[in-house]
Amino acid sequence: MTTTHAARTVGAGLDRVDGPLKVAGAAPYPSDFSFAGMAHAVLVQATVAAGRIRHIGAAAARAAPGVLAVITHENAPRLERAPGGLTIGPPPPLQDDRVLHHGQHVAVVVAETAEQAAAAARLIDVGYESAVPLLELDDPRAQRVENATGRDVVRGDAAAALAAAPVTIDVTYTTATQTNNPLGLFSTVARWDGDALTVHDSTQGPAFVRTALAVAFGVPESGVRVLAPFVGGAFGAGLRVWQHVLLAALAARVVGRPVKLVLTRAQMFTSVGYRPRTVQRVRLGATGAGELVAIDHEGLEPTALEDEFAESLTRSTTVLYECRNVTARTRQVRLNVACPTWMRGPGEAPGVFALECALDELACRLGIDPVDLRLRNYADVHPQTGKAWTTKALRACYEQGAERFGWSRRTPRPRSMRDGPMLVGYGMASAHYGYVQVPCQARASIDREGIAHVRSAATDIGPGTYTAMTQVAAQALGLPPASVRFGLGDTEMPRAPLQGGSGLTAALGSAVHAACGRLTAAFLDVVADDPGSPLRGCQVEDVTASGGGIWITAQPARGETYPAILTRHGLAELTADGQSARRRDLDGEPAIFGAKFAEVHVDPELGLVRVTRVVAAVDGGRILNEKTATSQITGGTVGGIGMALLEETVSDPGTGRLANATFGDYLVAVNADVPDIDVIFVGEPDPMTPIGVKGIGEIAIVGVAPAIANAVFHATGRRIRSLPITIEQLL
Amino acid sequence: MKVAEVAVTLRVNGTSTKLLLDTRVTLLDALRDHLGLTGTKKGCDQGACGACTVLADGKRVLSCLTLAAACADREVTTIEGLADGDTPHPLQQAFVRHDAFQCGYCTPGQIMSAVALLAEGRAGSDDDIREFMSGNICRCGAYPNIVGAIRDVASGAAHDAGDGSAAV
Repeated sequence: MTTTHAARTVGAGLDRVDGPLKVAGAAPYPSDFSFAGMAHAVLVQATVAAGRIRHIGAAAARAAPGVLAVITHENAPRLERAPGGLTIGPPPPLQDDRVLHHGQHVAVVVAETAEQAAAAARLIDVGYESAVPLLELDDPRAQRVENATGRDVVRGDAAAALAAAPVTIDVTYTTATQTNNPLGLFSTVARWDGDALTVHDSTQGPAFVRTALAVAFGVPESGVRVLAPFVGGAFGAGLRVWQHVLLAALAARVVGRPVKLVLTRAQMFTSVGYRPRTVQRVRLGATGAGELVAIDHEGLEPTALEDEFAESLTRSTTVLYECRNVTARTRQVRLNVACPTWMRGPGEAPGVFALECALDELACRLGIDPVDLRLRNYADVHPQTGKAWTTKALRACYEQGAERFGWSRRTPRPRSMRDGPMLVGYGMASAHYGYVQVPCQARASIDREGIAHVRSAATDIGPGTYTAMTQVAAQALGLPPASVRFGLGDTEMPRAPLQGGSGLTAALGSAVHAACGRLTAAFLDVVADDPGSPLRGCQVEDVTASGGGIWITAQPARGETYPAILTRHGLAELTADGQSARRRDLDGEPAIFGAKFAEVHVDPELGLVRVTRVVAAVDGGRILNEKTATSQITGGTVGGIGMALLEETVSDPGTGRLANATFGDYLVAVNADVPDIDVIFVGEPDPMTPIGVKGIGEIAIVGVAPAIANAVFHATGRRIRSLPITIEQLL
Repeated sequence: MKVAEVAVTLRVNGTSTKLLLDTRVTLLDALRDHLGLTGTKKGCDQGACGACTVLADGKRVLSCLTLAAACADREVTTIEGLADGDTPHPLQQAFVRHDAFQCGYCTPGQIMSAVALLAEGRAGSDDDIREFMSGNICRCGAYPNIVGAIRDVASGAAHDAGDGSAAV
């Protein structure tokens, strides 16, 4: 089968199909769902970071108006932990008296109204037997975890090469704890009907929530339905099933009524993960001509005492540059902290910050242009495996990004560029992300009105999945996008993977493409022996889906519409399923690349940094929708500005209490912080997926912070190695 | 301990509804939980993110910091009240055209702020728009497109100012 109008449909900047709903306030997010007789749950959280609960005084709360139940470790039923590692089961909450981190859930209050539950929660008196918490990365009592991702690399002999290298850099960078902080407060609405459970949840993977709930409560998975048609952002926070999700379902079970649980903004800082702070030592060895002969990158970050989280800070270090001697290690330290999680560009965003700032320091030391230094170490093949890249347009990212940015206007010496009183700096960085494609399923139907209904239990946390998948299906079926209804966010639909790791668009798009292809074949099956059909006896290779039907490619006037076939055969609709998985027959290395260029203005007297321009050049394979993809890169760039200059979750060093768990104190980029952002897509469709997509969710943020930090150095001559870069560091 | 309740008639989007409310109920929760108008969003409940922005007597207010009981004599407009019948408000259309959102959660608050911004005459330049829209956080980072959408309508509104049909 061939398809037509590729240029007009796929790739076009179609307005979001769910846009009209969203601007009308009519898109239903999890907390927007309510049920008759619904009660409200509010969480009580630990105010110490380590120790035991000595007593919980809940009598006053239980007697307060409207209170239906107070659930603590003293009366909570046993809950099973779902198996399956990182993404499924959290440690079940309220199972014993131990406190492992500040902000741990210690009680749930359920009441008739949210106001009553919140008021009663304040009446609960928790007494603790405190212990000295493990809070520092260098605490000798703390357990260390080596190579949690299995992605550490030792290639050649970096130590020997460093010792022999004519030029070396040895620097340590730190990045701050960041909180994902999607604007949508994570919410769960749970309703039991016997052993059947329906849950509306803020998640990036409804199927995983279903499994965790079924195991936790010992009920059949087939009886658990999880819905998430709209999610108010997540940025990785929805990749785990968190304890509050289990608690909402538990509360509903205990009171025998539907229950809504909405986390507070403060609880969003301790209950749904965060990007852990890092300490990273980078050593580079190079020749005088800028050839990298050694890279040693060691990353350190905290994780929770009894929960699992893993990311590699050093994965990009092993593949971004041609270099024979590389040691790249990520180490975790178990502390009395809430469990971290993946936050946009997990591992890569902080890891590439350290690597790319070190490259900039090396360029400065050698007197080589930063872009030129990267080109001199360009990895034409995968440096670890020696295999060819499936596609790689990083060179074009450098060249086109530099051209669009006007990089040639940069004068190398720090503090050499000015705009009036402002110091001007230009900085750049490479970006890499190794995307993940996991199996996915989709289902497609066409009805007698000629409307296609395509669905899969994925989510759309904001990138525009509804829209891009509508376009993929429209192209594959030869329908206008307006004749396609794409559905997602419901575990009754075919199973989809997590929306994360920049992998969903490729996985889901390929599954949708496959389902639509099989649907075309199903229509041909129906008319295989139909003397009334011009398509009688045709095979899929012979036809083209176009104009609302199927036509013989060699005789474009011969064919018929989908409704004509359905009507003649007395069928209401036809349906087909499709699936996708990573190609195993292609012996190449898939990866996403980018180059980021930033201009900053720094007030020399106040130390105030403004990002004034950003150019992001991205090789994400085929781009399904130029408009939404540009928005995604823009949004990641805004996240990178926040990472570079604003965002830092501060915890009290003695108690582990978070000191700034509000939007008033945890600063994120606002409108006035963000300049116009120029996005360029380069490269070509990637053969690793049938639709040629690689993915762009993470690459959007990777490289932004180092480009800004390098620009700040260029503007000021001050090398700030600690994020966020703040006024006091520059004064 | 007895829960104090108060009878209040809220006039929202031109419709008056008599409610008996816990005195602690905010305008935001009254809209969402008692009137079923869930278009207005709760992003922080602390007045710091702008997601709950609605208009009260034409001025933007943070509905999470406004007690419902204090709104008895005010004309409240929410995102659900912006469209003219089946025709979305020009800002609603511009937000779609400019892709001025991603997850969409902050969008009702952004649009309500933008409606007031135009009425206040503070959308004269991109820098003004950026400054006066900085009380509305968009964590997805759609800011440049939000500016584009507002600029688009502001220039159209200026163009149409003579016929009295300008936005808002």
